[in-house]
Amino acid sequence: MSLLDALPTPRIRWEGQHPNVVLISLSLVMLCAFWTVDVVSLAPNRIVMGTGYGALEAFGWPGVVLITLLLSSIGLFACQPTLPHYRALLTVVVGLMALMPVGLIASGLLLIDPELPQARLGIGTAYWVVLFVLMLCLVEIRLRLNLTRLWPTLLLTGVALVWWLCAALWLDNLALVQEFRARDRQFLTAVGQHIRLVSIAVGVSVVLGLLLAMLMRRYARLQKGAFTLLNFLQTIPSLALFGLLLAPLAWLAAKVPFLAQLGVSGIGTTPALIALIAYSLLPMVRNTYIALEEVSPDTLEAAKGMGMRAGQRFWQVRLPLALPVLLEGVRITTVQAIGLTAVAALIGAGGLGTFIFQGLGQAAMDMVLLGALPILIMALVVDAGLGALAEALRPGGH
Amino acid sequence: MSDQLSVMQSRQQAPMWLWPMLWGALLLISVMGMPYAEALFRWIEPNARQVIYTRAEFYVLLGRHLLVVGVAAAVTIVVGVLAGIAVTRERGHDFLPLVGQLASLGQTFPPVAVLALAVPVLGFGTLPIMVALMLYGLLPIVRNTLTGLQEVDADIKMASHAMGMTPTQTLRQVELPLAAPVILAGIRTSVTINIATAALGATMGASNLGDPIIAGIVNGNMAYVVQGALTIALLALTVDSLFELLQRKLRSRLSTS
Repeated sequence: MSLLDALPTPRIRWEGQHPNVVLISLSLVMLCAFWTVDVVSLAPNRIVMGTGYGALEAFGWPGVVLITLLLSSIGLFACQPTLPHYRALLTVVVGLMALMPVGLIASGLLLIDPELPQARLGIGTAYWVVLFVLMLCLVEIRLRLNLTRLWPTLLLTGVALVWWLCAALWLDNLALVQEFRARDRQFLTAVGQHIRLVSIAVGVSVVLGLLLAMLMRRYARLQKGAFTLLNFLQTIPSLALFGLLLAPLAWLAAKVPFLAQLGVSGIGTTPALIALIAYSLLPMVRNTYIALEEVSPDTLEAAKGMGMRAGQRFWQVRLPLALPVLLEGVRITTVQAIGLTAVAALIGAGGLGTFIFQGLGQAAMDMVLLGALPILIMALVVDAGLGALAEALRPGGH
Repeated sequence: MSDQLSVMQSRQQAPMWLWPMLWGALLLISVMGMPYAEALFRWIEPNARQVIYTRAEFYVLLGRHLLVVGVAAAVTIVVGVLAGIAVTRERGHDFLPLVGQLASLGQTFPPVAVLALAVPVLGFGTLPIMVALMLYGLLPIVRNTLTGLQEVDADIKMASHAMGMTPTQTLRQVELPLAAPVILAGIRTSVTINIATAALGATMGASNLGDPIIAGIVNGNMAYVVQGALTIALLALTVDSLFELLQRKLRSRLSTS
């Protein structure tokens, strides 16, 4: 064995000789989008499709030069990926994200005729593309710098605060802001309904899932049957399941007045919750079952040896050890339920889906955005939050 | 001994064809027989003027649904598998972490939100829905291709290299066949989700099996809703059981060879 083999292998994480091709290509994509696609659109009122404006018209020369410089600096820094350069990249990316609403303010000042205060500024395709690619850059930088998830979350929270501030104070002409102002009560109610539906569905399926998983562990025959049934349910498209529940529930409510008094009807919360729970059960039961099964028999044996009773062993050893995998199930279930609840709006259950489908019906795209964006954000936040929690609860994974 | 084995195999194989045939037959019956089932649906909606959805024939709706999902699936399978292969090769290795993260993050995006966001950018109609389905269906396939290819034992790859196989040969004759079950599972997930999501496309100007459901909800006609929902559910079950069949065949071929 030579001396070289005995030495620890040098960790070449950022001293990599070759440039970071990923960031360079991402930077080129953003430059292309920024220069060629519409940055903003301007519409005289709510329904008329806006006319698109390119970067030059929207930001003027100084803005275009500044943003082009910033975007190309991402590519340039990536040519020599050193540690300080990655830090600089992080700053540039986060800075660009924070600058985005400022760009909208600037284009509002440049484009909107002061005599037409009703004009609505729409966010153009280039904005969405650049925002999405900036997120990708952030992920790439996080992976290369080996940062935990906490850092990007904190930075993004800061960016979100800047956006919120700009939207509240200066972006009166932004279509999304106007749409929100016109129905802020409704919006908050919808968010509340959405969260309520999701939490009831997830809460019920956590309890049911735990019960079912425990029963399955006791009765092996139940296991196959239950998984087959739940898999079968999962295959049926949500729209179809909501639809199929409408008829029997409406019939039940009509025939049994007591149930109707309880709030059972074909349209509304009841069928939505039944369908949501039916869908949530599979991921929940599967993960709970696996989580409980995977606890090492040695540990349980040790607990037994220490004189713990069966109940104690379950509550104090098996369940805590199973918790991370169980939480993973809760995460998957919740994210799925957030999306499905949007569909439930079609059968009158309320929630943010109402905005999506009403907006689609009226061809009011800003209303669609007002419904779809919070759903997306909610799903991402829940995903990140529960993912981090599961990671923290993992034994020895602090 | 061999007789016993073949008996066992045939006993296992007997139900393999059963489910796809059963669901497929039910789907056909419901699509073709819908106009003749008036009495049945009259029972659900005794007071409605019309109980059978007639704005379009059910087989036309089924055809459109299959076309949208099929085209989207074909494109996503080609692009997704190629992307998965590209980033696991030496040259594309730089992109691997990002693509891996993106593919797992993509599961977080609710399909409704993706579809809804596609409309402002791409407009109403069948083509935008198709594009949205492609983008959304891509991620499960990429993720599973990555997992499948990465799970191939390094020793096996080394062995095939030592046997004198070129990287392309290794990929085609060793890695892809070994990763095939996982990739197929990804395709199954992607297609199942897309059948469901395409139905939602009916609210966004694409005409397909979601139409009767939406029309039924709008007009308060349960019979329409049941007709649409039943047909979509049967379609989903048929396609899913076909995939199940394919997966079993693949698995049994891998274990015998």
